[in-house]
Amino acid sequence: MAAQRHTLIPGASFVDPKVLARIENLELVARILVDGFINGIHKASYLGVSVDFAEHRGYMPGDDIRRIDWRLYARTDRYYVKEFEADSNANFSVILDVSKSMGFSSGGLSKLDYAKFLAASLTYLANQQRDRVGIVTFDSEIIERVPPSAKHLDVVFHTIDRAIAGRPGLLGGPLLRMTEFFKRRGILALISDFYEEPDTILRAVKQFRAQGHDVMVFHVLDPAELEFPYDAASSFEDMESGERIPIVPENLREQYKKLIEEHTSALAKSFNEQRIDYAVFNTSTPIDYALFAFLSARERMARVR
Amino acid sequence: MAFLAPLLLLGLAALAVPVLLHLTHRERDQVVLFPSLMFLERVPYRSMRRQKIRNWPLFLLRCAAFILLILAFARPFFTDTTSLAVTLNGGREIVLLLDRSYSMGYSDRWQQAQVAAREEINTLGPNDLATLVLFEQRAEIGARSSVNHDSVYAAIARAEVGANITRFGPALQLAKSILEQSEFTEREVVLISDFQKNGWSGDEAVSFEDGIRLRPLPIDGTDASNVTITSVAFEREPFSAAEQVTTVARLVNQSDLNVTNLLVTLELDGREVATQQIDIAASGTAMVSFDPFIVGEDQLRGTVRISDDALLQDNMFHFTVSSGQLVSVLIVKPDAPTLDSSLYLENALAVGNTPTFVTETITVRDLNTDVLEGRSVVILNDTAPFDGPAGNALVNFVGAGGGLLAVLGESVRWTPEASDVLPGSFGAPTARLSSRNNVLGYVDYSHPVFDVFNAPRSGDLSSAQFFQQRPFTVTNPESVLARFADGSVALAERRIGQGHVLVWASTLDSYWNDLALKPVYLPFVHQLVKHLGKYVEPIEWHTTAQVLDVASMYAASGHQLELERDDPVAVTPTGVRLPITGTDSTVLLELAHQGFYEIHTPGAVVDVPLALAVNADRSESDLTTLDPQELASSVTGRAVTERLGNLVLHERSPDDAEGQQALWRYLLVAALLLLTAETVLSNQLSQRVR
Repeated sequence: MAAQRHTLIPGASFVDPKVLARIENLELVARILVDGFINGIHKASYLGVSVDFAEHRGYMPGDDIRRIDWRLYARTDRYYVKEFEADSNANFSVILDVSKSMGFSSGGLSKLDYAKFLAASLTYLANQQRDRVGIVTFDSEIIERVPPSAKHLDVVFHTIDRAIAGRPGLLGGPLLRMTEFFKRRGILALISDFYEEPDTILRAVKQFRAQGHDVMVFHVLDPAELEFPYDAASSFEDMESGERIPIVPENLREQYKKLIEEHTSALAKSFNEQRIDYAVFNTSTPIDYALFAFLSARERMARVR
Repeated sequence: MAFLAPLLLLGLAALAVPVLLHLTHRERDQVVLFPSLMFLERVPYRSMRRQKIRNWPLFLLRCAAFILLILAFARPFFTDTTSLAVTLNGGREIVLLLDRSYSMGYSDRWQQAQVAAREEINTLGPNDLATLVLFEQRAEIGARSSVNHDSVYAAIARAEVGANITRFGPALQLAKSILEQSEFTEREVVLISDFQKNGWSGDEAVSFEDGIRLRPLPIDGTDASNVTITSVAFEREPFSAAEQVTTVARLVNQSDLNVTNLLVTLELDGREVATQQIDIAASGTAMVSFDPFIVGEDQLRGTVRISDDALLQDNMFHFTVSSGQLVSVLIVKPDAPTLDSSLYLENALAVGNTPTFVTETITVRDLNTDVLEGRSVVILNDTAPFDGPAGNALVNFVGAGGGLLAVLGESVRWTPEASDVLPGSFGAPTARLSSRNNVLGYVDYSHPVFDVFNAPRSGDLSSAQFFQQRPFTVTNPESVLARFADGSVALAERRIGQGHVLVWASTLDSYWNDLALKPVYLPFVHQLVKHLGKYVEPIEWHTTAQVLDVASMYAASGHQLELERDDPVAVTPTGVRLPITGTDSTVLLELAHQGFYEIHTPGAVVDVPLALAVNADRSESDLTTLDPQELASSVTGRAVTERLGNLVLHERSPDDAEGQQALWRYLLVAALLLLTAETVLSNQLSQRVR
């Protein structure tokens, strides 16, 4: 297997996305990417039935009387309930944007392929943690939905594998409908290229947060979208709407880069305010490196929180 | 300006194509798929190249090339050719062919022709060039003009009707050669004539190149009567020492009108001697015979004249007449001749008056110098008296210019002196073999004796059977004029001094051959005697445009012309004195006018004036016309399409005009040049962009 050494994280080896593109088995890809990670890096976001004691709290009407710590009642003459930390069996769902713009590639891996690998890796990782895994694909509508389940890893992989970028996409509507699916709090990984206004995006994503979900936002962009490396004056065609406009790239490259940077900055700021993890993934960057960097940052942030 | 295919001009609407190409082509030739134009649409500045022409020279080159291509395919041409000529070259060149043949003297045709010629010159501009060509049988340049056309006007005014016939060929050929050297694009030949049918045979092989037009201007006269004296014939009768001549004039009515009470007058030496009044039906002929008159050795000038009609030149016919040359023939027969050995000869020479043969028959014993005096020809019929005084007399006679015919019959005997006179020697008569008759096998038809028999059906000399002949051996093979079929000599000639000797190796009676019984006998004998007697048929008149050898005419009349000594001068019918030049053997004189020419030799000891009657060629009197359009078409190879009044204009069809101007070629070449420049320029620009 070809690998390249990245200088940002010494000692870690990362896989070139172009190499991953040659591997058809998605599970294998995910395993390659995730196997080097620390197992059980994340904790359950809520308390459950577990052996690890978490804390005592005062009894409130409605609490199960079996959970009253009678020894403490004996010492203090007050009713306290014992709580334990649950570290597994969380719901993990990938919300994957398969709109047409995700099919864009400037030469290497397309954004959708990159997003697929990302989704597969995260699902595999979650499955390793014994979380329930599920997936929802959407463009302007919800295309496929796999409810989270401990047994759904293969189904999720299969769903990811079948996803194609076919139709124009829209964030607001599909995400609003998805809130009905995720009743139980869990971890949501939203993967998209976010070609919408930051406010619209935030409004849609904020609903998940309001439901108590732990939301991770992965913004996948092609290098061409970030750098705009075109020279020749050409007609640029919108992949989703088909609209064309003649462009002389050299005249507007800087302005474009400035606009896309403003866009990502606005998203980062908004998501941060909502305690939503947000990261821009350049499809030319190795997936495992990006994933590692993201999860590391997330871990650090979690400690702060 | 007009277009042969104007609908193609709609293609100019396609000019929008290069414009659109300029505005959009470079952006549209490459489409880049991009996930979203969300941010690109927010950029106010998109593509300034789409909204303005980036390279004006390239754009203009493409537009110009396209316009030129469309124009070329629309096949433009200028409708106003005069303006075209002025535009391109600053003028046009015309050649004015003015017919001055004597038929143009009919009625007021000549005046009409002069007016038409002047009007044609009036249409010329200051940049135009005109050449006046006067033509009849020949063509000559009358005048050429450039800025000022006065010289042409003057030449038209000076020009007169000539005495010759119409021939279009030389005039058209001259016009062609003038215009082919012209640098003008607009070249035209204007032919002013009465367009006589006789002037154009169709075999002239004159063909104008493209770009030279022929515009005929037919001159039409009023229809009036025209009687022509076509010829005059003479019947001569010996009268004492002179001749009695009866003149017969032949007249033809060339018009469709009956002519009555026409006076026909015979003038001799300027005096009217007889007048007759006749009627001639339309298109009919008449013969007018005048009473005979006596003619001596002196030349008599005569004219047959009729009363004036529309065409004056053919109303008179001039001639000169003198006593015909009498040929005196002496027939010498043996002392004891066969009874009728000279019978056929004498009878043959008694027939005819051109010339009149005066014959005398004597026996050989009577032959002497005195009897030879005044003789032109001596015929020794079956005798050969070459020894003794008679022989000497004969030698002297021949040496002085006399003619001698020796007929070798049964009685003739060879003497050595005969070799001084005869062209060879003869032997004994051949045996008469009934089964092997001889015929004439070879005849020198180029010899004056036989040239009249040269034409087909003009006498079969081989029809005569020869039973016997004398073998004749010539000293010079070239002297043989005729041979028998067995190769033996039949007729041989020898020249002694100024005279000729002929030897006939058989007889001229019916004993040794049956030649005397054949129709060819009489002309054969006449030819023999005419040749020996140096008879020259008198010429009563000549025709205009003939060129005469004056020296030979003097020689025929017995005078030797020496240029330096005699200093000959010709006086024309108009009274002009023309010095005659040439060599002693050839002195040429062109007969240009109708009437009497006089040739004087003032330098000679005795000035012997020679009068020549000259008449215009009567074929010109036939005024039948040809179709001018037909003539123009055959010369230019193009159809004449429109007739305007009396003037036939050579209007060109749009196809012709476009074909001649061929402007599309220039436009196409210009378009190709522009496209080449466009290719070079756009390549340079492309390389610069890369």
